[in-house]
Amino acid sequence: MSKKSRKLIRSAKPGGAPAAAPVDPAPAAVPERAFYFLPDAPTEPVDERELHELMKDWRHGRATRTIGQALQDAYVAVFSVVMIGAMVVNLVIKAQTTASACATATCTSARTLVPWAAVAAVFALALGVSRLFGPVLASAAEGFWLMDAPISRSRLLRGRLTLALIAAFGVGALLSGLTAALSGSGPLAVALWTVAGALGAAGLVAFAAAQQGIERHRLVRVIQGCSPRRRWPRCWQWSRSPRAGSGSPSRPTRGADRGVVLALAVLLLLAALFVALRRLSGIRRARLVSGGSLVSGMQGAMYALDFGLVRDILVERDAVQRGHVRPTKGRGTGLAALVWRDVQRLVRFPKPLIALVLSVIAPYAVDALGLSQLNPFISGLILVAVLVPFLGTLRVLTRTGGLARSFPFKTGQLRTAAMAVPGVLALLWAAATIPAFAGVTSSGAERSLADAALVALITGIAGWLGAVRWVTAKKVDFNAPMVATESGAVPPTLIFNLFRGFDIVALVTAPVMLGGSPLWSLGLALVAFVALRGTFNMDELKAQQDQLNREAEQAKAERAAGGGKIKIPVRDGRGRASRRGRQGGWLSARQRVPHRAQLGLGLVQFLGRVGAGHDPAAGEQPHPGAVGLVQHPATQRDGPLPVAGGVDPADRTGVAAPVQPFDLGDRRPGQRGGCPAHGRGRV
Amino acid sequence: MARRNTVLKVTDLAKSFGPVTIVSNFNLEVREGEAVALTGRNGAGKSTILRCLVGADMPDEGSVEVNGIKMSELNPDIRRDVATVIDDLDFFPDLSVVEHLDLLARAHGIVDADNAVDEVLHEVQLVPQSGQLPGTLSSGQRRRLALATAFVRPRKLLVLDEPEQRLDTEGVAWLAARLRAERERGLAIVMASHDPTLVQTVATRVVRVGEGGALAEDLPG
Repeated sequence: MSKKSRKLIRSAKPGGAPAAAPVDPAPAAVPERAFYFLPDAPTEPVDERELHELMKDWRHGRATRTIGQALQDAYVAVFSVVMIGAMVVNLVIKAQTTASACATATCTSARTLVPWAAVAAVFALALGVSRLFGPVLASAAEGFWLMDAPISRSRLLRGRLTLALIAAFGVGALLSGLTAALSGSGPLAVALWTVAGALGAAGLVAFAAAQQGIERHRLVRVIQGCSPRRRWPRCWQWSRSPRAGSGSPSRPTRGADRGVVLALAVLLLLAALFVALRRLSGIRRARLVSGGSLVSGMQGAMYALDFGLVRDILVERDAVQRGHVRPTKGRGTGLAALVWRDVQRLVRFPKPLIALVLSVIAPYAVDALGLSQLNPFISGLILVAVLVPFLGTLRVLTRTGGLARSFPFKTGQLRTAAMAVPGVLALLWAAATIPAFAGVTSSGAERSLADAALVALITGIAGWLGAVRWVTAKKVDFNAPMVATESGAVPPTLIFNLFRGFDIVALVTAPVMLGGSPLWSLGLALVAFVALRGTFNMDELKAQQDQLNREAEQAKAERAAGGGKIKIPVRDGRGRASRRGRQGGWLSARQRVPHRAQLGLGLVQFLGRVGAGHDPAAGEQPHPGAVGLVQHPATQRDGPLPVAGGVDPADRTGVAAPVQPFDLGDRRPGQRGGCPAHGRGRV
Repeated sequence: MARRNTVLKVTDLAKSFGPVTIVSNFNLEVREGEAVALTGRNGAGKSTILRCLVGADMPDEGSVEVNGIKMSELNPDIRRDVATVIDDLDFFPDLSVVEHLDLLARAHGIVDADNAVDEVLHEVQLVPQSGQLPGTLSSGQRRRLALATAFVRPRKLLVLDEPEQRLDTEGVAWLAARLRAERERGLAIVMASHDPTLVQTVATRVVRVGEGGALAEDLPG
């Protein structure tokens, strides 16, 4: 048969069934159609590289920007990176100088311990990320369009493995080297730690890839779980040994020891790489695509600098992998039920508790390094990171308004309930770290026990509030007014997302670090708490304002149509008809609007106030009864149209100024700022 | 008449997610020229069975054999023979519709890929959209493209999960006729469907799935 031949297949008539079929049913009437079938010619062997070349060829010329344009657009970013990089390097050098000057036994101990801990953490990170993404992965599109074909997958995936190894090498080198430098190690030691971290991380990624090829992850998981926890006590034990404190800080990693460690790392890398390459073709498509899909989802979130969303994706993935849990009964009613559910979560997902317990070491380590001044800030940031997993309820309630609306509580109540369990954990953390803030691991007593307890409490609160701030981050709103930059328009939330959590920790711990009274820190923490629990929820206030505006418009329309009074039951704060309402009392719609405005928006003046200089009606038209953003017409006539935002005064005297939109109810005649109306002829 | 070869043989298939057993003791044998329709309520386990059949999920117990070879999507020979439309398609955002099909045909070593792609594009009525990037396709057009992927490549077993989804009435009629023609050419088909017309037109057997496995096996109609 010719390879280009077409077969026109007539749809079968009833009764024309193949013999093997038990019974051919009477089918529904199907119109006659012609179908194309592939020729019977045998298929050709496929070269994977040719496929790649083909795709490259298709893609060629589809770029929307040239390299020059891209660089032009990104020069601000490049410049920023260089500037910030220079600042960071400067900071590192300064910290390194400070740390290396310290020659006490505890400093020496810490100098040895911290790089070990950092390398262990880098290894754990390498294994964790490898297990999460693959480490070998393919996009969902590649999974369907390429992996489905009878081609050699290993040739396609070799590049991916190389990329993962390079990334692990780079990140491992950076983190290990940086930590070694910050802990005051010498240049040679820093270089060695850098190489060890890089080779070890790359080797472990290769090992994870080898395990991925046979779909065994238990070993990876075991090593990942053991790496930081097993080494810490051993390193600690070693660092406390007389040899460690004998003025020879890098003694064990010198000479033959270092050579053995590096040789082992290289050997591990090569062996694992060899095995991984051999097993590349054994990775199932589902595993490859799963990592690719995760990466693409996280890329989108990272593009918007939405780190919360990145975490949401990971949490969702974990939940899907877990699949089922054993249902547990709730306890209590109302907000207590929410809090109790958080407690049950702790039992169900205890893994974050491990990180929280380990984080208790951080203040001790920072103190041992002689950085006791910065200890509240650094430890607070670490606490932010480990407390975030406990704020799942708050995250969901913040992210999805629909769920929050289904609870019969105010935003503040909901948030406070969702913050309760992490708050208790932060307090426990603070209690466990009091000795660190007293200076037990450094030179001695830096603070009295009472002061140390206060600083530990402040650090705990700062970490807790920072975590809350981080978790309650809003999505980037691309519809909001944007900030013009050289790289184009950028939504402000995109920038603020970078500093969320960080800002609260800095704010709350700043007075303590600057030698001020801890009461300042507590005061600032209180303000931050009130703000974060949603007392000033701008979205809610805006929604209320919109509702009031709609009601005012409606009332005006009804008045214009009939002029009669509208019977509206008056409700108390709990939504029940008040006594007055039940007894047949009523308010006109016109009366109702300002009353509600007074009740609902009493605090809005502190948030959206415009400057007094823009008040064209300053000194006249006092309006003692009005509070909100609503315009209140005079008794017997329609009021003037509201003007949005601040309005410039009329450009000559004698012309009535437009009515201001923000009219505050608690102002009395004579209290208004600004010049008198008749004196504003000059503009 | 010569006995037709068994293309797919499923023996004591079982699959659980956590403590919940989705499928247990599921057995099925499909020969050349047979079309088996899996029916059942939502969540009965039809898609899970299909995913196990094509190697997308690994069964907890039991075995799946394609042409006498144990099912493994790592085996290129099995990949060559089994065409699947069981998930929503993912696309390369920068490759056009025709390029996607061309890539698939070439990856399968189709000698005259251009012609094959043209013909299949005509058949699924995506010729006007052939140069479009996938992001601009409607959901129905995406479905047609997904179905086209099954017809532009070699196949001996066709596994489809609710292929009628998002197709218009005319599209469902075309699909029914096409699948029937495939079956009559000797292709084995396993599909899950809620469309009685499609089931009646295409299937030679209907397997009702529910409560962890096959409930009953019927003739369609």
